Amino acid sequence: MAAPLPDVLLPPGAPVPAVQPRRHRRSWAQDPEIIVPAAVLALIVGACFLWPLIFPLPPPVGGSVLDSGLPPFSPGHFLGTDPVGNDIFSRILYGGRVSIEVGLAVTLIGLVIGGTLGSVAGYLGGSVDSVLMRALDVLIAFPALVLAVAIAEGLGPSELHVIWALSFFSVPAFARIARSGTLSLHGRTFMLAARLSGTPGRRILLRHVAPNIAPQLVTFGLLGMGVVIILEGALSFLGLGIPDPAPSWGNMIALGQGTLSVQPELVLIPSLFLFTMVLSLNLLGDGLRARWGSQ
Amino acid sequence: MSAALDRPARAGAGVGGGALLDVRDLRVRFHQGGTSVLAVNGVSFTAWPGRTLAIVGESGSGKTVTCRAVMGLLPPSAEVAGAASFDGTELLGLADRQLRRHRGADLAMVFQDPARSLNPTMRVGTQVTEAIRSHLPLGRREARERAVELMAMVRIPLPGRRFSDYPHQFSGGMRQRLMIAIALACHPRLLIADEATTSLDVTTQAQIMELLLDLQAELGMGLILISHDLGLAASYTDDVAVMYAGGIVEQAPTRRLFGHVRMPYTKALLDAVPRLERQAHSPLPVVGGQPASAKADKAGCSFAPRCPSARDRCHTDAPPLAEQAPGHRWACWFPCEDGGHA
Amino acid sequence: MAAEADQLRAGPGGVSHPGPAVRGVFSSPALRLAGRRLLAAIPVLWGVTFLTFLVMNVLPGDAAQQLLGANATPAEVRALELKLHLNEPFWVRYWHWFAGTLQGHLGASLTSGQPVTSILAQRLPVTFELLLYTFLISVVLAVPVAVLAARKPGSLADRLSMVVSMAGLSMAPYVLALLLVLVFAVQLRVLPAIGFVPASQSLVGNIKSLTLPALAIGFPLACFYTRLLRADIVEQMQSEDYVVTARAKGVAPWQVLVRHALRNSMFGLLTAIGLNLGTLIGALVIIEPIFSLPGIGQVLLQSIADRDVIVVEAVVLVFALIVVLANLLTDLLYSVLDPRIRYGRPTA
Repeated sequence: MAAPLPDVLLPPGAPVPAVQPRRHRRSWAQDPEIIVPAAVLALIVGACFLWPLIFPLPPPVGGSVLDSGLPPFSPGHFLGTDPVGNDIFSRILYGGRVSIEVGLAVTLIGLVIGGTLGSVAGYLGGSVDSVLMRALDVLIAFPALVLAVAIAEGLGPSELHVIWALSFFSVPAFARIARSGTLSLHGRTFMLAARLSGTPGRRILLRHVAPNIAPQLVTFGLLGMGVVIILEGALSFLGLGIPDPAPSWGNMIALGQGTLSVQPELVLIPSLFLFTMVLSLNLLGDGLRARWGSQ
Repeated sequence: MSAALDRPARAGAGVGGGALLDVRDLRVRFHQGGTSVLAVNGVSFTAWPGRTLAIVGESGSGKTVTCRAVMGLLPPSAEVAGAASFDGTELLGLADRQLRRHRGADLAMVFQDPARSLNPTMRVGTQVTEAIRSHLPLGRREARERAVELMAMVRIPLPGRRFSDYPHQFSGGMRQRLMIAIALACHPRLLIADEATTSLDVTTQAQIMELLLDLQAELGMGLILISHDLGLAASYTDDVAVMYAGGIVEQAPTRRLFGHVRMPYTKALLDAVPRLERQAHSPLPVVGGQPASAKADKAGCSFAPRCPSARDRCHTDAPPLAEQAPGHRWACWFPCEDGGHA
Repeated sequence: MAAEADQLRAGPGGVSHPGPAVRGVFSSPALRLAGRRLLAAIPVLWGVTFLTFLVMNVLPGDAAQQLLGANATPAEVRALELKLHLNEPFWVRYWHWFAGTLQGHLGASLTSGQPVTSILAQRLPVTFELLLYTFLISVVLAVPVAVLAARKPGSLADRLSMVVSMAGLSMAPYVLALLLVLVFAVQLRVLPAIGFVPASQSLVGNIKSLTLPALAIGFPLACFYTRLLRADIVEQMQSEDYVVTARAKGVAPWQVLVRHALRNSMFGLLTAIGLNLGTLIGALVIIEPIFSLPGIGQVLLQSIADRDVIVVEAVVLVFALIVVLANLLTDLLYSVLDPRIRYGRPTA
């Protein structure tokens, strides 16, 4: 005889407490894993865009050969000058602008276009979804850099062309995430309720799907921005990104390659900034994911 | 209720006199983030060789945590206090390395969900021999032979062939038998079955229970059955302890408890079991409310908010668990009148 | 035999029987899976080649112009275009190329006339070797570190390795390459900064010449894998029931980690490796020129600049093939390693 207790006496009840000792649930703004990288990012962005407006700075291009090769901490040139005579600090700041602009633009384009495409396809399913999946497969099998190189090469180096080239890959990446996020929401009760109550698709997507996949997309975006910035650097490094003499961290590193043994700081300084920027983005993305992940 | 209640004491019961497992005032506290939760609040019980003890309670009553604490299987964030001695050796406070020597060899545990409790990427035979070779210095071939014997003992057909199969190739009942085989690998003296039959269908449940009891008789083991199923407890055990909100609220030999229920909680559990004799369509007398949240350390009896017999005193003073009739302990200020359900 | 089978089927508790003996890699489910994947890969490969052709032709300029330079007269350019069949419409040219490829003729470089197959034969082995070496580094570094870190989550070893790996994966391969050259080639002088030594010439030299490039790509990748694997292992150890069973058996913690948790975490790693192959290949394209390695990456960059469509197509096709095949291999490995796939679902 085995008569189990009826379900009513076994409500969801207090489960065994979580196995992992989770950190204190402090607020957003007090979590060092989020605050520190965010602050660093703010600092870099602020410096790149605001410093030149506030403080006098030698121009990033058109330096005089007479000033070439000055070491860091020379008077008037905080980080020294490059072989052509341009002030490095100024080039760093202006170069940073490029990285930030490209990173932001590509990520936003990917987020908006890719996110929309992905969630619509995931929501509608059927043939729309299949077509999208096929297209995504092709784009993902494609070595991204090759296409970016081809585009940049063909259209000529410029910041805008770099943005186009990189968006080509950011869009499918976001589309994939949005699609899988939307699909995982499909079975949830509130989705079913919304559909049954006759809510039009558009509203469902905006009101219900979007807020739920937003955290995933944002953390992916932050982590992806780091990748985009590295890729922009790569393109500039190859000479296909920002054209000389306009500075970009990538082309500064390329330029410094030649004098690596004698003037390593030409490579090290932009590398350091690039690294710090990407690291902060990664840390921020990771920190947010840890916080939001447990949904 | 089946005739199992009249089952004579198992061979070996009380032989040698010594208790197998003696738990005293066990307390377990979990630390989550900034808060701490008292999951088990002063539990004491004893397990004897050849006898079966049932620990019954709702989800969250602390029954699983209690036994895992004894086995040392709780996460590091758990704080365990009290005493649990196995055959004279104190288990709590032992270093993991020493505890490991007992775990699996002297005390073994069978878990609830055999689908998830077996490693899906390891052959079942290897999972059994792993249990054997962790404690006994046997070579591969000998361990394999023994494993096959064990599989046969738990009535898995063609054990020699099925040794190299993977868990997903077995049905639920078979998997649970494998778990039992693993648990018995070193002929433990105490077997703890944590909701071992909950995820199985009724027929298989009965088979597994019969298997467990036969094995107990054969090996003279002590058996602890953890369950939320009162019927199971009534049919197959010698002693019962009912837990609620981290503590034992009633404890007695099985026949005695079901014959003379005292604690209103136990009575409510019994009442809620659907019976054929009841009138059709009559509402089930369920216990209202939610089980006590372990987080709030409230004053008074933990069952008071839901208890139909609760009075003022119940909300202010927590009744102690006291032996108020021979062999029968309960924690209640106003217990049910003698003459509860059989 | 039949009686046995009957007994199995009729056994108590409903014993499941896996059906006809399905042991070994070449069991039906695995082959069928492979076949299906290959079939699905074909349109993808076609899509890739089509896209490449499209892009190359949409871009301004063509091979003829590139070859002759800026000073060529329009007539000269036109003449060369005719010779190279560049004047024909897009579809015709694509068809020529496609048909030819299906028959195995990948064509000849527009710029040098050299048959593409010989270019590939020359250059591909170097890239391949680098690819393999990088892959090895990334896995060999990641697994032990992840295991050591997962052993005691929150310990010093764990936190340290997480910090280092976070920093590592934030490094751009080309930046790391230059730094490695600075330290190992310029300062310490233990490894060469540029140049490739074929294995036939000197095995040690060969490995030395590929070490820095492989590290430049492999290290950030290893950091990524380390974090992934560690997280997976920790999760297995903390929330999977079979881990509790293993502990209850009295198995030592190390063994629980390696024999149980790690085994099951490998699948996640495998997936990640497959997904990251495209990035790996892209990185090769940049790293090769830095170290002057005579691989396919340099060829690609040059061909794009030269608008040498034929060569570009061939290289892109090879890359896409590698990605597709690698993913296929991953799937096959899955089906071999995961007994649930290999032996199919139970019948009961």
